[in-house]
Amino acid sequence: MDVVVIILLISGLLFFTGGSIGILRFPDFYTRLHPAGKLDTAGLVLTMSSMALYTLHEFSVASLLTAFKIILIVVFVFFTSPTATHAIIDAGVRAGLGHWTKGEK
Amino acid sequence: MKVLGAIIVLLFGSLLIYCTLDFPSWGDPASPASTHVSPYYIENTLEDTAVPNIVTAVLADYRGYDTMFETVVIFSAGIACFFLLRSFKRIEPDTRLYRHVPTGITFRIEKGGRYPRESVDFERIDLQWVPHDLIIKTTCRMIIPFIQIFALYVIAHGHHSPGGGFQGGVILGASVIIFAVSHNLRSSTNRISEKNVVLLSTTGVLLYAATGGLCLLLGSNFLDYSALSQIFGVDSVTARSFGILLVEIGVGMAVMAVMISLYYNLASAGKQDEGL
Repeated sequence: MDVVVIILLISGLLFFTGGSIGILRFPDFYTRLHPAGKLDTAGLVLTMSSMALYTLHEFSVASLLTAFKIILIVVFVFFTSPTATHAIIDAGVRAGLGHWTKGEK
Repeated sequence: MKVLGAIIVLLFGSLLIYCTLDFPSWGDPASPASTHVSPYYIENTLEDTAVPNIVTAVLADYRGYDTMFETVVIFSAGIACFFLLRSFKRIEPDTRLYRHVPTGITFRIEKGGRYPRESVDFERIDLQWVPHDLIIKTTCRMIIPFIQIFALYVIAHGHHSPGGGFQGGVILGASVIIFAVSHNLRSSTNRISEKNVVLLSTTGVLLYAATGGLCLLLGSNFLDYSALSQIFGVDSVTARSFGILLVEIGVGMAVMAVMISLYYNLASAGKQDEGL
């Protein structure tokens, strides 16, 4: 159990790190939102699932309830985070922001 | 005039800052608040009010009078925004835009043309703001009921966990605002009209005050909920817990309605016809 928790947690943190680096390093608005939307969601899903597993160490109704609440957070973030990114990018397109092309500073 | 105002502000500010020197230092264990007030709450809250969450008990019971006027402050913020921004001159635009939802075709109907009845197939859209985004609409429609359930949970469960009327009210208001953002202002005002919003905010504040007044009528102090035991038929400690719940519901209603009213007025610059 512990091994699974640790593996999930570390892979989640890996996604978070990648997302942060991506936000800093990518050249423009749209490409920056790409890691922000995808990797943060993936990282959150993984770390939160590991938390849910961890609370199930002592199996009881209370810990089951806590795990269920964490899973609910995962489900809602899984739906809303990509939608929020989509809405932001949509707003960018509507506002007429052009995308980055190769060679541009 | 400006100079005079600046002088007054500076004088008053420096006076206030001077007064803070008399305060006990932050986190001082010997200060009056930590020696007399906090221990009393920590030791007696559960016996007095049967509420495990001390913050809620202090907010709505021990210092209920304070919280009542906090609610009034929020209410007056909403009313002030209403009076400052709301303009009742309704300028109907000459042309209207309608979208045929199944095909995604937009119709532009000039003045004098026959407007289609609004239905599932035809929806009227704003002239300035014309997004049609199935993803956002569907997600928001799916998520809003859960947000509202959670808000009600936060209000009702404030006795046992962090939360209460203010937080739950804000979440409830946010659920309506997210509906307005994902669709448009008109479809939101069709669900909760401006009149209902203002009525709700007033009802919330009045519910709070009426709970206090009821205690007064039953022969004890204003907002002393133990008097409600005669109505609920429970002992006075449980009655205090019920009284806190009543008051929290009032706060929740007021805060929700004021949030929505602020959004309606700000998003449409007071016209409340078209907007986000």
